[in-house]
Amino acid sequence: MKVKIGIECHVQLTTKSKLFCPCSTDYRNKKPNENTCVICLGFPGSKPKVNKTAIDYGIKMALALNCDISKRMFFSRKQYLYPDMSKNWQISQYEIPLATNGYLEILDKGKGKGKKIRIRRVHLEEDPARLIHIGGDITKAKYVLVDYNRSGIPLCEIVTEPDFESPKEVRIFLNELATILEYLGVFDRNLEGSLRVDANISLEGGERIEVKNISGFKYVERALNFEILRQKKLIESGKVVKRETRHFDPSSGVTMSLRKKEMEAEYGYITETDLPEIVISDQWINQLKKQIPELPHQKQLRFIEKYGLDPRTAKVLVANRELADFFEGVAKEVEPTQAATWVKDRLKKILNYHGLELSETKLKPTHMIQLLNLLKSKQITHRSARRILRELVRNPRSPKEIAIELGLIRIEDKALIKNAIKRVIKTEKKAVLDYKSGKEKAFHFLVGKVMEKLRGRADPGLVRAILKRRLRN
Amino acid sequence: MPVSEYLEDKSIAEFLSEVRESCRQIQKKYSPFITLPNKFEPPKKGKLFGLPVSVKDCICTKGLRTTAGSKILSNYVPPFNSTAVERIKKAGGVIIGKTTQDEFGFGTFSTNCAYEIPKNPYDPQRSCGGSSGGAACLVSAADFPHIALAESTGGSISCPASFTGTVGLTPTYGRVSRWGLISYSNSMDKIGPIGKSVYDVALMLSIISGYDPKDPTSLKTKKQDFRKYLKAEVKGVKLGVPKEYFGEGVDEEIKKLVWKGIKRLESLGATYEEISLPYTKYSLPAFYIIALSEASTNLAKFCGMRYGLHKKLEGNFVEYFSKVRAVGFGEEAKRRIILGTFARMAGFRKKYYLKALKVRTKIIRDFKKAFKEFEVLAAPTMPVIAPRFDQIERLEPIQQYMMDILTVAPNLAGIPMISIPCGFVKGLPVGLHLMGNHLEEGKILQVAYTFEQNEKNEG
Repeated sequence: MKVKIGIECHVQLTTKSKLFCPCSTDYRNKKPNENTCVICLGFPGSKPKVNKTAIDYGIKMALALNCDISKRMFFSRKQYLYPDMSKNWQISQYEIPLATNGYLEILDKGKGKGKKIRIRRVHLEEDPARLIHIGGDITKAKYVLVDYNRSGIPLCEIVTEPDFESPKEVRIFLNELATILEYLGVFDRNLEGSLRVDANISLEGGERIEVKNISGFKYVERALNFEILRQKKLIESGKVVKRETRHFDPSSGVTMSLRKKEMEAEYGYITETDLPEIVISDQWINQLKKQIPELPHQKQLRFIEKYGLDPRTAKVLVANRELADFFEGVAKEVEPTQAATWVKDRLKKILNYHGLELSETKLKPTHMIQLLNLLKSKQITHRSARRILRELVRNPRSPKEIAIELGLIRIEDKALIKNAIKRVIKTEKKAVLDYKSGKEKAFHFLVGKVMEKLRGRADPGLVRAILKRRLRN
Repeated sequence: MPVSEYLEDKSIAEFLSEVRESCRQIQKKYSPFITLPNKFEPPKKGKLFGLPVSVKDCICTKGLRTTAGSKILSNYVPPFNSTAVERIKKAGGVIIGKTTQDEFGFGTFSTNCAYEIPKNPYDPQRSCGGSSGGAACLVSAADFPHIALAESTGGSISCPASFTGTVGLTPTYGRVSRWGLISYSNSMDKIGPIGKSVYDVALMLSIISGYDPKDPTSLKTKKQDFRKYLKAEVKGVKLGVPKEYFGEGVDEEIKKLVWKGIKRLESLGATYEEISLPYTKYSLPAFYIIALSEASTNLAKFCGMRYGLHKKLEGNFVEYFSKVRAVGFGEEAKRRIILGTFARMAGFRKKYYLKALKVRTKIIRDFKKAFKEFEVLAAPTMPVIAPRFDQIERLEPIQQYMMDILTVAPNLAGIPMISIPCGFVKGLPVGLHLMGNHLEEGKILQVAYTFEQNEKNEG
């Protein structure tokens, strides 16, 4: 069945203060209603004041999404009575948003070709408060608690045209978008609730169903898949899909109809007359343009060309800007494919295990260069190198120092090796006999025992050579 | 006098306690106050030297109840000061109380009030005007030195000044910070002074005006002392007299008085010419549509929960806030919320709200065109003298709205204006309205001062 999906995603901007007041944006883990002031609580007589950095961030986003930026923009009041809006109106943008008419290209690996998702508009608005439903979810709660700590956090809303043909495409789009936004330094996907999606889905040209407030990446595909299935079943059983708004419940994985709400909620938009019009000059835009770094897609292409990496490897590397930069630092002195493996597989694995961002460690490319040089010169084994890397992440210093501390420097002292071999031959008499009677497996076993004695620090090649000679005698 | 005694500053304390007693007496007779505190906060050191200042109840005063004339805020004590009040206090002013008004500014006679309705000291059966009725009432009745802080959206400073024979100055929109002003219509609200003389309002404007970073709509003007414009000199000043402001709805006796005033200015050296402001006839509907659209959103804030009137928490949110708002809002507030919501609803928004905004631009252009040639426009402030309360009761809401016909256009345009007394009709005061171009408070103050000084010398 032909599927049409359009989305509205709300991303929280990582400015220091809220969109219209000086309260901090670091609202998580604070006591309820502690992170508020008279402005974000909507006290009578209070007036909003625009956070210029939020506009800077919005403009950067619009540029990265190839949009037309409005020369003059203003804010509007979206008015409705609901406990999560402290003024019972949301300051948003209606007639003239920050930007329009852009696109983001996604690559569906399965289909192998790129697709442009058109972006209808990008605008700024304030986040409402958090509602905590006690005794169930929005449809079953006994009562609701309101926490205004989040009220007024800057949101950038990105609205797409209904260009998606599958939930998978939506997931790819969101990942791509999130990476770009992280590159711009305006967003952090690890913050809980920093990305929320409303989706509009229709099947076979039928009515649009809106699924609201899907929070986080992993749920979007699930929610959309469920909804498509639900609609399919209705259509197949001859029923009509009626236009409605639904809510996705992450714990059960289903979408549910919200209690009777007007279809086109009556917002009665007027201008936000406490805020003057904002003129976005070419100068302003150009200044910000200079601050935009090389974006993921461009970086990926450059990595393929400059370092000879395959597209998949390049893609993984650019998914995280810090890691990509780190890789380039290492690739200055280490063979790029090796650098890529060590960064995207080994280092990333360790970071993921500890739940760390690269910037949270003090690890520098020189550390890894030195480590890989030690490996190259065979002073350490692969296994030791990985061990040292774990330690480097924890406490970055000279890899050679760590190797010595942990006793991992490769033993090249032949006397030590001979000694270990002697001891093993003495204790493993059966294996020696097996080898002498032609069983190759026994040799490997003996090598293993020698390595054990040397705690894996010897060059296996050297051990095998010396052992073979010894056993011949 | 020993140093310790001098430092104790008893004279101010005594003065203030006499003021308080006067206020109590005036309250009994004319009811200008919603809140009259038992004790006044002693003044800081400043150039106002403990001057008593009253504050209209829609302007927030920290620690002092602020109701905006409504029941829905009957228990509301703001946790912060409005900038205007902050500046008054910093300059050594003493806040003596909160004056009564039409609820949220919704009215022309201060009769839409959830508290005491102020009575005109010239005739207690008559209105003081509105919505800053209490402020003007107190200025008129008080014989102690006092300036009132008031507010205008569609004429709420000029109207009561006219009805009570006092001087009301409405500054250019953005001249005075709106931080701490409980909003009626954000694009038109202005804080301004009412006083017994032009000097008083010039002084107060100097204290409260100037850029405030907390209010993004406040203009980046430098602080100045507006008393420097108080020169009795109008030679060569060109007055424009808009003929639409002398139409049928205006009382004949009032027109005569105002023309007398204009002629008097001519005799002092000014020149005048009749002009036309063709969009005047659309100013009333444009004003009300814009003001009410904005007000209907501003009043959405009041739903219990965080401050103000609270009801028992039962039922869902809609049931809860409906209870609070049904009880907390007066009839006129409800009417305006409904009208304002309608004018901006999908399907009507383009026809009413957006259209009104376009008409507003035309009205502003009318004024700008006039000010290319003329420095000050002169007209009557109000079409009638202060009506009796029983007359007001018989008026339909639309007839009440039409009383604003002479003040809404300049308020829509955000230009400065001053109403000064120019005589009496049937023993009740009449106001002469002088309007200037944006940021030309100096000019209208000068003309007003000249007129006032001349009147004093004649009388």
